[in-house]
Amino acid sequence: MTDLSLSSLGAKVVLATSSDENHPAENIIDRNTKTYWMTTGMFPQEFIIRFSEPTQIATVTLDSYNVKHMKIEKNTSQSATQFEFVTEKEFESTEGHLQSNAISLNGCSATHLRFIITSGYDHFVSVHNVSMKN
Amino acid sequence: MVKLRARCLLLGDAAVGKSALSHIFYSDGTLFQKNYSMTTGVELLMKCVNIPETTDSVELYIIDTAGKETFVEACKKMWGEPSLLCLVFDLTSEQSFANCSRWMERVQPHCRGLHVPGVLVGNKSDLSARREVQASVASEWAQSQGLDYHETSAKELENCDAVLLSLARAFHSLYQERREAVQNLSPG
Repeated sequence: MTDLSLSSLGAKVVLATSSDENHPAENIIDRNTKTYWMTTGMFPQEFIIRFSEPTQIATVTLDSYNVKHMKIEKNTSQSATQFEFVTEKEFESTEGHLQSNAISLNGCSATHLRFIITSGYDHFVSVHNVSMKN
Repeated sequence: MVKLRARCLLLGDAAVGKSALSHIFYSDGTLFQKNYSMTTGVELLMKCVNIPETTDSVELYIIDTAGKETFVEACKKMWGEPSLLCLVFDLTSEQSFANCSRWMERVQPHCRGLHVPGVLVGNKSDLSARREVQASVASEWAQSQGLDYHETSAKELENCDAVLLSLARAFHSLYQERREAVQNLSPG
């Protein structure tokens, strides 16, 4: 497995359900865990990453804080519609340091990945980095 | 600039003025419903409140729910997971104030162990001759529950803005506090 370079794959965050201009959703894929995207109240919350072409993904690793339950969906179409369920995971609570969770996507091919945070350990949660391996 | 979103649960005995308050919140203090119509289910109203001296705002999703015993159990399913509490009692009814602790106990299981900020509102302050609850007593109890205390008259449209602003501010400062905490996290 090798690390996928999200920037060279033309990956973009095309939708995020919360917006704090100081903590934009682009921070999710900037390879820096010091910068983050923060949710601004209530659940569920989600963000969608688009690749410029169908991409095979073995695992995705999420660095986050206070996320309780994450659901991942994907599609292989050009538009961000008609998603199908891939997997879901309950994250452990970590106090004072980031959660880091590797999730297997079984080498599925996708043009969009949709990350749905269905619940959190606090009113607000943050996502610091998403990286992928193929 | 940030827009926060909060699920604000409006609780308290029947006929204390929860729906009257929520309609005033919604209509920017122009609409007092003169006729009483008991809420038997749940009503959702959205109100956006700007935080003064910032460009931030809080969208309050106000859940106005039945206070009448007969309907409470059925309505609980729609309470969801609140971000804010607005507990209302009638200043002319000692009983409605006494029942506030019961409302706090009832909402606890819905808060998932999280601290949920909020306000205690003594409504019907215009009926001063019939007052049964002293401000000092109510304010002290509110403090013990971690709530801010306000007195309003929905009928006279008095002080209702203060309640909205207090709710919005409480959620806004919670957000700032949490963002600060995230900023100081060590890497996983």
